[in-house]
Amino acid sequence: MQRSLSMGLTSLLPLKLPSRMETHLWYIRPDEVKCASLLKHYSQLLSPTEKDRVLQMRGDELKKNALLARTLVRTTIARYQTNSEVDPRSLMFKKNKYGKPEVDWQNYNNCNNPPLHFNISHTDSLIACGVTVHVPVGIDVENKERKIKHDVLAFAERFYSADEVKFLSTILDPEVQRKEFIKLWTLKEAYVKALGKGFSAAPFNTFTIQSKVGTEGCYNLCKTSEMTISSLEKTEKCYEEWRFALLELADSHYGAICTEDDQAGGGAISIDIDTEESIYSVISSSHLSPSCRWSYEGDYPKNHPFRRR
Amino acid sequence: MASLSTTSLSFKAPSTRISQVLRKGSSFQSVTFGRFTSSTSKSLRLQISCAAKAETVQKVSDIVKEQLALTADTPLTAESKFTALGADSLDTVEIVMALEEKFNISVEESDAQNITTIQEAADLIEDLVQKKPAA
Repeated sequence: MQRSLSMGLTSLLPLKLPSRMETHLWYIRPDEVKCASLLKHYSQLLSPTEKDRVLQMRGDELKKNALLARTLVRTTIARYQTNSEVDPRSLMFKKNKYGKPEVDWQNYNNCNNPPLHFNISHTDSLIACGVTVHVPVGIDVENKERKIKHDVLAFAERFYSADEVKFLSTILDPEVQRKEFIKLWTLKEAYVKALGKGFSAAPFNTFTIQSKVGTEGCYNLCKTSEMTISSLEKTEKCYEEWRFALLELADSHYGAICTEDDQAGGGAISIDIDTEESIYSVISSSHLSPSCRWSYEGDYPKNHPFRRR
Repeated sequence: MASLSTTSLSFKAPSTRISQVLRKGSSFQSVTFGRFTSSTSKSLRLQISCAAKAETVQKVSDIVKEQLALTADTPLTAESKFTALGADSLDTVEIVMALEEKFNISVEESDAQNITTIQEAADLIEDLVQKKPAA
């Protein structure tokens, strides 16, 4: 079903779906979005419930970030609908049994819609949305420089697994230790979010994530078995069906991705960084206030998704 | 800049198969931005505990303000949701840790997930403080 685009909406450049082996990660930096009328038009993409939630945020920065998060999700998913143009406003969302958000395709003819999975994460300075096909995905982003108010080891002892505490305690430089702590946090969050069953399905101290020897950015999930034969023996099983990758985004953030993958036996993960200057502008230039107009002069870069009518 | 720039990157892993994710029992009510909270046990707990003292609520508010680095003029009530104040998952956990230290209690992970507002944190604290054996 094709919805007509109104209000001078310009088409969003369609995206090729990720293959089953891929995860696409889209991210934006809220501090790069300054135009008030653009934000106003983004707010018109949101559902009434989403708008209410945005308004509940205390403070303009938080409202803006909440708005951008929903805009990112809606426009990104809409771009993957290659069979027909999809108005980002028409997308509907629902929650699974445990509260994880997912796309609700009920309004569309279902046959051609790909089984897209998505997950979002945000910090005050970066918002990210991961997209996969067929497999669940979880992502988490954190600012690399984020300071932990508590002692890092005390925090880890309280929440992380014993092996992770051991790993962190071997790091002597407190700055490196803090960074490794943050990396582990994002990986663990990404796993719980990919699992999609809520936090209690996988309390942080019941599983260990460790980096794969000889790789950079690749990690393994190991669980500490609950049944131990004696206190000296610990059965650990590494779960190959969950894949992890840790990336550095925009030089400022760590981003962890976790997807489900049935293929046991490891194998390298390759990370392709495909930078596209995508301008999601959904208003025609006549709606721009004078202070914003200048940015639309000049040529658009080659991969510009912005197609004028 | 009147634009929303995004960057995308993709990573490939060797071929995957679809697999079933087994789902178990409990239901959750989700908070929009990433953290899942349970609605079932939350409503049960509120039925059996009384509203916390104003003093406790104030102490919790102070901890929240400090953790989230809120400005003095940020409107803050007992009903304020942590996420609405800008707390992410890491902040919420740090808040729980600070509350444990301040009140000398130990919060179960499943209880920690149920805390979404200042009032709920205060209620849980008083519950736990009451249950502690006499010093």
